[in-house]
Amino acid sequence: MRLAVSALCVSLAMLAACGQSNQATGDQPAAASEDMPMVAVPLPKDKALQVMHVRHEGMEAMGKSAKAIARQLKSGSPDLGVIRSSSGAITSFAPKIASLFPAGTGPDVGKTGAKTEIWQTPQDFAAKAHDFERATQAFGLAVQGNDVNAIKASFGNLGKDCKACHDKYRAEMHH
Amino acid sequence: MQSLPRQISGGDASLSGGSVARQLVWDLPLRLFHWLLAGLIVFSWWSVTYHHTGWHIWSGCAILTLLIFRLLWGFVGSSTARFSNFLRGPGAVLGYFRGNWRGIGHNPLGALSVLALLLAVAVQVGLGLIAEDEDGMFFGPLATKVSVDTSDKARDIHELWFYVLLGLIVLHLLAILYYRLRGRELTWPMITGRAPAEEGTKPVQRGKWWVALICLAVGIGITRWVIAGAPPF
Repeated sequence: MRLAVSALCVSLAMLAACGQSNQATGDQPAAASEDMPMVAVPLPKDKALQVMHVRHEGMEAMGKSAKAIARQLKSGSPDLGVIRSSSGAITSFAPKIASLFPAGTGPDVGKTGAKTEIWQTPQDFAAKAHDFERATQAFGLAVQGNDVNAIKASFGNLGKDCKACHDKYRAEMHH
Repeated sequence: MQSLPRQISGGDASLSGGSVARQLVWDLPLRLFHWLLAGLIVFSWWSVTYHHTGWHIWSGCAILTLLIFRLLWGFVGSSTARFSNFLRGPGAVLGYFRGNWRGIGHNPLGALSVLALLLAVAVQVGLGLIAEDEDGMFFGPLATKVSVDTSDKARDIHELWFYVLLGLIVLHLLAILYYRLRGRELTWPMITGRAPAEEGTKPVQRGKWWVALICLAVGIGITRWVIAGAPPF
């Protein structure tokens, strides 16, 4: 049931994101869309809160997985089984990220660490989300092998892409 | 305004009374400790605020070294650095309020402020050692020794504890301002080491420079061991 709701939210979010990108790639020059960042029709509030919930849970799950993986990689004898099973939450959620930030899901709508800058520089945000997705793909491949150093290196790259986006687009949030 | 951290010369008597000469109060190791600690606290705040988490962790490790040094220097350092010379009971603090205190170094009330500041910094460093960031990308050197939940909780408290530390620092600065308005300058002596003192004040018994170096070496050694994840011997 929960999965179905999540899937619904994600597809809604994707639709919304499509709408947004259509407008962004329309006849307006890029500068104009930066001046008017909220040109896309925002989601209705209840839908927005659903998307924000999915987003939050997914991000938190990725953080938990990263902590579990890092603990293994820092230990003397990393358990590849734990690393592989934990990596799933990251590799499966990463491709959804770009679509989970439709217009109308910012801090003015509900509690979120997402900064309004996301919708002011949407192309840069999308590029960073894409970088992260690619890093998670590489990580997903690395954990299939047994080379711990390769896994460490690829996990490090992943962390840089997390950070690149968070430093710019995530506000301090206490929960 | 009752919280006064430190007093340099004899009692609360005005400096205009009696003959006054500048003499050593704070030795060089103590002054270096003070200003390095102040600088590293500012740097720690700045680095974490502007997302230089790696630098923030190194800064915390450097503060750990300073704290270990200060702890040891508090037993084997110059007389004004020794805990046994400045930590006194409530009677002495009351006596200070009545003006019954003569000496150099931390007065009985200021000593409480020094103790609170040192303990607050120690708590902050301890929390930082076992904390991890929200994303599972940055770890205090001992974070993987504790559970994910403990480490996350330590980070939350670490963030809140900063305000406790900040409050004590503000109190410290206000007290310095208060003394200055009353004609007693405290900042310059912490730079030069020398302050006016009434004649006949017992001079500082200086600690030995090589003892200070040993204290520092022990601080660095223990910090390196902590950074290595505190492996068993």
